[in-house]
Amino acid sequence: MYLIPIIVGTIAFAVLAPVVGCLLAGLDRKLSARMQGRVGPPILQPYYDVRKLLEKDRAAVNNVEGTYITCALVFAILAGGIFFGGGNLLLSVFVLTLSSLFFILAAYCTRSPYSEVGAAREALQIMAEEPMSLFIAVAFFLATGSFDSCAAFGLEIPAIGATWIAFLGFLFILTIKMRKSPFDLSYSHHAHQELVKGVTTEMSGRTLAKVEVMHWCENVLALGWIGLFFVWGNPVSLVVAVVAALAAFFLEILIDNNFARVKWQLMLKSAWAVALVAGGINIAVLMYL
Amino acid sequence: MALIGFLILFPLLVAGVLLLVGNETARRVIVCSSAVIIGFGSVWLVLANLGTPWVGIEFSSGAIDIVCTLIGLVIAAVILCFGVKYKNVLACVLAVVQVVGSLVFDVFVAHGIEVQYGLYLDSLTLVTTFIIGVVGSGICIYALGYMEDFQAHEPADAKDRRPKFFALMFLFLSAMYVIVFSNNLLWMFTGWEITTVCSFLLIGYTKTPEAINNAFRQIIMNLAGGIGFLVALFAIALTMDTLSLVEFIAVGVMAPALVALPAVALAFAGITKAAQMPFHTWLLGAMVAPTPTSALLHSSTMVKAGVFLLIKLSPIFLVCPVAAVMTILVGGLTFLLCSFMAISQTNAKRVLAYSTIANLGLIVACAGVGTPEAVWAATFLVLFHAVAKSLLFLCVGTAEHHIGSRDIEDMDLMFERMPRLARFMMAGIMIMFVAPFGMLIAKWGTLVSFADTGNVALILILGFGSAATFLFWAKWLGKLSGIAAHPLNVETTVHRSEWIALMVMAVLSMLCCVGLPVLSTFLVEPYIFDVFGVCSQGVSQANLWVAALLSAVVFVVLFGGLGSKQVKQVPVYLAGVSENNANRTFRNSLSGETMATSRNWYMEGVFGEPKITPVGVWATSIIIVVGFCAAIATLCGLL
Repeated sequence: MYLIPIIVGTIAFAVLAPVVGCLLAGLDRKLSARMQGRVGPPILQPYYDVRKLLEKDRAAVNNVEGTYITCALVFAILAGGIFFGGGNLLLSVFVLTLSSLFFILAAYCTRSPYSEVGAAREALQIMAEEPMSLFIAVAFFLATGSFDSCAAFGLEIPAIGATWIAFLGFLFILTIKMRKSPFDLSYSHHAHQELVKGVTTEMSGRTLAKVEVMHWCENVLALGWIGLFFVWGNPVSLVVAVVAALAAFFLEILIDNNFARVKWQLMLKSAWAVALVAGGINIAVLMYL
Repeated sequence: MALIGFLILFPLLVAGVLLLVGNETARRVIVCSSAVIIGFGSVWLVLANLGTPWVGIEFSSGAIDIVCTLIGLVIAAVILCFGVKYKNVLACVLAVVQVVGSLVFDVFVAHGIEVQYGLYLDSLTLVTTFIIGVVGSGICIYALGYMEDFQAHEPADAKDRRPKFFALMFLFLSAMYVIVFSNNLLWMFTGWEITTVCSFLLIGYTKTPEAINNAFRQIIMNLAGGIGFLVALFAIALTMDTLSLVEFIAVGVMAPALVALPAVALAFAGITKAAQMPFHTWLLGAMVAPTPTSALLHSSTMVKAGVFLLIKLSPIFLVCPVAAVMTILVGGLTFLLCSFMAISQTNAKRVLAYSTIANLGLIVACAGVGTPEAVWAATFLVLFHAVAKSLLFLCVGTAEHHIGSRDIEDMDLMFERMPRLARFMMAGIMIMFVAPFGMLIAKWGTLVSFADTGNVALILILGFGSAATFLFWAKWLGKLSGIAAHPLNVETTVHRSEWIALMVMAVLSMLCCVGLPVLSTFLVEPYIFDVFGVCSQGVSQANLWVAALLSAVVFVVLFGGLGSKQVKQVPVYLAGVSENNANRTFRNSLSGETMATSRNWYMEGVFGEPKITPVGVWATSIIIVVGFCAAIATLCGLL
């Protein structure tokens, strides 16, 4: 019985998330361009890019890279399905980590120096953001009594009321999750601060297209987490959640365009400090007060 | 219950026979057949008693008590002998203290106390029996091929000490069975001391100065733990007039203040044996021994005895704050700091050692928390750690003999021609750290239990520790990830016995991952219900099935799909004019040739041993001292 919503959620997420994610990516490029005083590409440009990638010749540096990326994409979609299907938040976090692991393996397996640097940085990004991802799930559990995302619909007041400190911490690591500057160490879309092309250096054609789609799905899932904290027992709250998620998205674009990439030491230390303070304080307050 | 007697005595008999057999073929036959018999015996015991509650076996014998005393004397004699030979005063002193203490105890205190149920059986025992019988004897089979290579690498005139080696391995298994089946604490103590001295002899096997040094470090730390056990025996016998483990736990749950001292002393014994900080250095030092020894110490014996005792004591920890706080803090800090230090290691065996210590730390912390969910998680951590870690050790051992290095940085190109071994290693690593595989599901249960019980510190420790775990495994896995692309196979020089053992471990670990929900229902849940009277697990059955399903998918991809697709291959990008793409050389700015190389990150500056070890050693030492002081104060307050 428990599995049916997850299956339905996964199918729905597999269809809808790429569409929404693609539009968001187009919006991102448009807004960034406007912030930099450019006109920017059409809103559907990310879609055109991926379509073109899909038409490219199949060539790769080895025969396992594609398999790893397919696994990464499938598990990213599954993580989204678990989240939006009302499933367990921790399971969703863990499955997303599995997806990232396959992404990292795909970069490592090429044994290209640039790709390996990107892979190591991607692993470091996961290490930097993972504690806060767990703490926000624990905070949600303490506020609602359940680790299932569907529990948000049974609330009188949205979870943000009791978890706003942890939520601020989550906003901080959202930049890492969405790979936005200043924390875009592994894979940047700002050409001037990238070491060749980071983690995707050796990926091309279909493989790169899958990476793009996975990235869209990840972004939708990350924004879903933002929305989760603004949902309560009233259907109107869904509108509030979408508005909150879009506001967070706009904030990320603003940050992205105003900061240069930092070194890994600063990213790791700041992300862990934020997780320790925001997560620790919020969890302690919820437990003991 | 003849089977229990058989499991204890048969390995002992085999050990005696192996000591006398010098012929390679005869040893091969004996080790293989007896390992299979022990394995089947253990599985039979598990299947025949699936879901059993606590069952006591009426069995007491004055003769066995006397044998235990004699064994104690022999152990002390062995240690004294080595201590005098290598002039190690501390080991001699501790051995004398222990033997005098246990003689006094046997003659004056334990004399009038009879334990009606000398042996027992419950579901936790079954889990541990399975680990000892299947993983432990699998390692014995692996050792056959490994030790042949090992002897070949030794100088030609080196003495062949293999009979002693294999005898010790089987003696170890027998002693482990004594520990898990004994309800009589005196017998358990004897098994405990035999494992200590066995690992002493196994670590010192090569007799190099380093090996001797590390062996003595092990024996000193574990003798200290043994003295802790002895203190607990005195306290239990004097205050409660019993030596039965089950009665001790039952009294402890009723009167936590009364058992504070023995609980703390037993926890101390468990902490030393499980190589928790500040005693973690003995397990790191044990790396000098041949790989089967490490595999045995890390996965199925020795350290597992420590956590077995602590998990057994968890109902006491639930109500006895003094012992619980000490156990939780030592375990939690060890988990966190050793996960950090694992990041900075390039030696594969050392990474495995730190990961073992860290995982044991988590198990110790769970046992200390003592709620049903925490014990559920701890039991699964024990099981998955045993199967996955033994697989990894065996892989690293085989790799070391064939690529001549145990450095992770060497594991990409030189390893290229061992794709099957690489896949086994990948499976082992994934089981250790990432969902949907066993260890992470157990960690998930841990997180839930910490959240339920309101343990902020442990939640934070778990969050940061798991993140560090991700990094050090992911970068090792990354090194291996390209190997599957190379179909060329020159693994033919690996001994067949090594392959068989590797296969057994690999299949076993995968079956455990896929069969997780079933194991939970039939093996772990009965123990929880038996001890706590409730059925409770941190992760819902439905989520366990999701995890099992996903594990199956990943295994199919790893062993079925990976590398089978043919694509047009292109060289990697090296940013510049390349001289030779196959050798990764390019023309540098001085028109010379430079080779493009890359290395993983080890972050010495942040996670290096010199930075972290002192912090951990000091903090945990203080915690243990404070724990003992508080326990003594509790006892004094009571009197």
